Amino acid sequence: MSQVRARRRKATWSLWTERRMPSEYEAVTYRYHYHFRREPAPFELSPDWSINQWYLKYREGSAFNVDDWEGVRDPYRYTYRHYVAARHEREVYVDNLIDEFERHDHDRSLDGAWLDFLGRVVLPARFPLHALQMSAAYVAKMAPSSFVTNMFHFQAGDEMRRIQRIAYLAKALALDNDRADLADSAKARATWEEDADWQPVRELVEKHLVAYDWGEAFAVRNLVVKPILDEFVNVEGARVARASGDELLALMLDDFQDHDTRYSRDATRAVVDHALGKNPELRGVLQGWLDRWEPLGHAAAEGLARLFASAPKADPAEAILGRVGERYASWLGDLGLELRR
Amino acid sequence: MPKLQRQQYYDLTRDMNWHFRYVDEAEVFPEAMSKSLGVPAEEWWKWDEPYKLTFREYTYNQVDKDTGIYSIKSVTNRANLYEKLDSGWRSAIKAHYGAIPVPEYLASIGEARMARFGRAAAWRNMATFGALDETRHGQAQAWFPYSLIDKDPQMDWALKTLHTNEWGAIAARHLFDDMFTANDAVSTAIQLTFTFETGFTNLQFLGMAADALHVGDMEFGALISSIQTDEARHAQQGEPTLRVLVANGKKAEAQKMVDIMFWRSWRIFSLLTGLSMDYYTPLEYRSMSFKEFMEEWIIKQFMDQFKDLGMNTPWYWESHFLPELDWYHHGLHLGVWFWRPTVWWNPDAGVSPAERDWLEEKYPGWNDTFGRWWDVITENVRKGEANKTLPETFPVVCNLCQIPIITPCGHAIGKLERPIPFMLEYNGRQYNFCSEICRWIFKEQPERYHGHLSIVDRLLAGQIQPPTVEGALAYMGLTPEIMGQDADNYQWAFAERKAAE
Repeated sequence: MSQVRARRRKATWSLWTERRMPSEYEAVTYRYHYHFRREPAPFELSPDWSINQWYLKYREGSAFNVDDWEGVRDPYRYTYRHYVAARHEREVYVDNLIDEFERHDHDRSLDGAWLDFLGRVVLPARFPLHALQMSAAYVAKMAPSSFVTNMFHFQAGDEMRRIQRIAYLAKALALDNDRADLADSAKARATWEEDADWQPVRELVEKHLVAYDWGEAFAVRNLVVKPILDEFVNVEGARVARASGDELLALMLDDFQDHDTRYSRDATRAVVDHALGKNPELRGVLQGWLDRWEPLGHAAAEGLARLFASAPKADPAEAILGRVGERYASWLGDLGLELRR
Repeated sequence: MPKLQRQQYYDLTRDMNWHFRYVDEAEVFPEAMSKSLGVPAEEWWKWDEPYKLTFREYTYNQVDKDTGIYSIKSVTNRANLYEKLDSGWRSAIKAHYGAIPVPEYLASIGEARMARFGRAAAWRNMATFGALDETRHGQAQAWFPYSLIDKDPQMDWALKTLHTNEWGAIAARHLFDDMFTANDAVSTAIQLTFTFETGFTNLQFLGMAADALHVGDMEFGALISSIQTDEARHAQQGEPTLRVLVANGKKAEAQKMVDIMFWRSWRIFSLLTGLSMDYYTPLEYRSMSFKEFMEEWIIKQFMDQFKDLGMNTPWYWESHFLPELDWYHHGLHLGVWFWRPTVWWNPDAGVSPAERDWLEEKYPGWNDTFGRWWDVITENVRKGEANKTLPETFPVVCNLCQIPIITPCGHAIGKLERPIPFMLEYNGRQYNFCSEICRWIFKEQPERYHGHLSIVDRLLAGQIQPPTVEGALAYMGLTPEIMGQDADNYQWAFAERKAAE
């Protein structure tokens, strides 16, 4: 039957079932995960092989499931080449920014208290941001459709982009200001592992890595950990950077927020909207995970608020926490979810 | 440009290793996903990639590469180049497109598993690039054949193959799922990136790219050479993983991983690359024989690199692997051509008189062994009895590699002592194998394989109805316009001279 139809329409995959022709994006994304809900097991090995069982339990067995995941669409319709071209533009922009600021010897214009803050807060943020790269990879590998997987491969790339620009600044600032401590990996790790205000963040981040149900992994990463970290690192980070005259960092963080964070949020919405459109009862499943993770998320946000309040000329922690909480709750509300304490 | 060079700040892009406090490290890196073999966390932190790269460099490089391949594609499309290609070559690229794009895309899952469960941030970064690379390879290698479906319906199988139970699809899934889609991070680094990508994809990609350029298939040649530049980078995750294992007394475990996957890769590449190089590629454009490619790329270059790392050649190297270079893929070719309705491309017999001369030159003795069977086939075709060259029964399939067992062929030409399959009783069930090595692999890790049913097991279990050739073709998803036919419509059989005389 499909053959007859395929011949009349000419030139498209016989697996494609819609009447209209697929776009390039769809033709190279549609139904690449042959293993989802495959019988008797996802992979062509013994059905009881541990990794078959892992997928049966955490993917096929997840409460966050609908009859068809192939209908999810990346709002940006990114194929690999379009994603890479889009990020290449951003990287050229950031290169130009750095170039321009370096020409004016920007790094040496920053004061010591601001550098101390960077050393305690912004530079060690590499650790939790790397954990977001890890969890993006996990969701990518567990997702039931390539339309979802690819959006998480790209988010993993975006985390790498942000971390590596922060790494660049760490080294440049260390060299220009004779502050070797800023580029000292052992010191950054010690701050991450021992600083009291980082610990609730670390607890959230470590625990989110072991949320193995694919739906919960998606929810805790994209509805809890990433939005909270982005609000602080990108938005509050840019704010305190401007207050201390670090316009270079502020502009870089703006770029991550305007492009990478926006991408992540739009991707999140695409998955949530698709799932709830298919089965409105899944709202309860997502809300349940949000509620379960809220205490850890809140404690992490309090820690981050204290950390960002330690910047020169920063607002008090309560004020930072309050406005971050408002923006976060409002974004969740747009998704049809609630931040419940 | 920013003033700092990559090497000045690179270490800070990959120093995000820490000790877990709020969850157990073993829970973050469970053995099923990570398989770190008891090597302590901080030992893994020493993981040091030989090929260093930042995200910004990645985007600069990859945009250029993609511009290159997609612009060639638009030129060749306008020139209607595909119609001008030799039919055997078209079979070679259709076999490739059916077997490779979706598995390459699925390799992004294996890469993502390493990007999550690899034990060092440096490794996880490289694997993140790897996941992006494999997304590129899956998409580009699907998009190119996609544009050719209206010219050739078999191109549809670039997406469809892995969704079917076609026997080659089962073999491909069994191999690739074992190697990366359903493999742990450490084994994936050793088996996918080190053994397979460093060794065998060189063979398929560089070898086929060289042939493509000779044939005039600029599109395929440019595509796969561009892909190979990514592979050459992300394949380098294997070496540092191997170094950590060896430094921590796990050389034997690493060696076994290599021994297993080298053999499995050899099996599938004999099928895919062996047939393409020695039978499908037009004679005048062949740069080397499959055996010569194996000798150059695998036996010499790959194994030199392997030995430099303190590893040994697989234990079966002299006894089982080298002797197969002379015959195994010739036997498979005979089988695939005979069972041609069961594949998604048109097998090219590749045995015209001139081609037989070439085969005899590259594989002395070919005429007296394989040539005699082809004589019978040629006679039947000449008598107008091509129906006698089509299958009425099923071959027995190996319970490990899932490729038909051709031990009778090996025995008939004096390469194997006995014609019967290698057998094993395990948990009250009998398993059949094509070789002692496939049986060894099964025995080493039965937990991965024991409950799997080969296509023949499924037939015997009543899952294929009716249990006839027609029923099996339907089970395999093959429709009349896809089923393979002789690529040249038997013209080779009527060529002037019979070379065996």
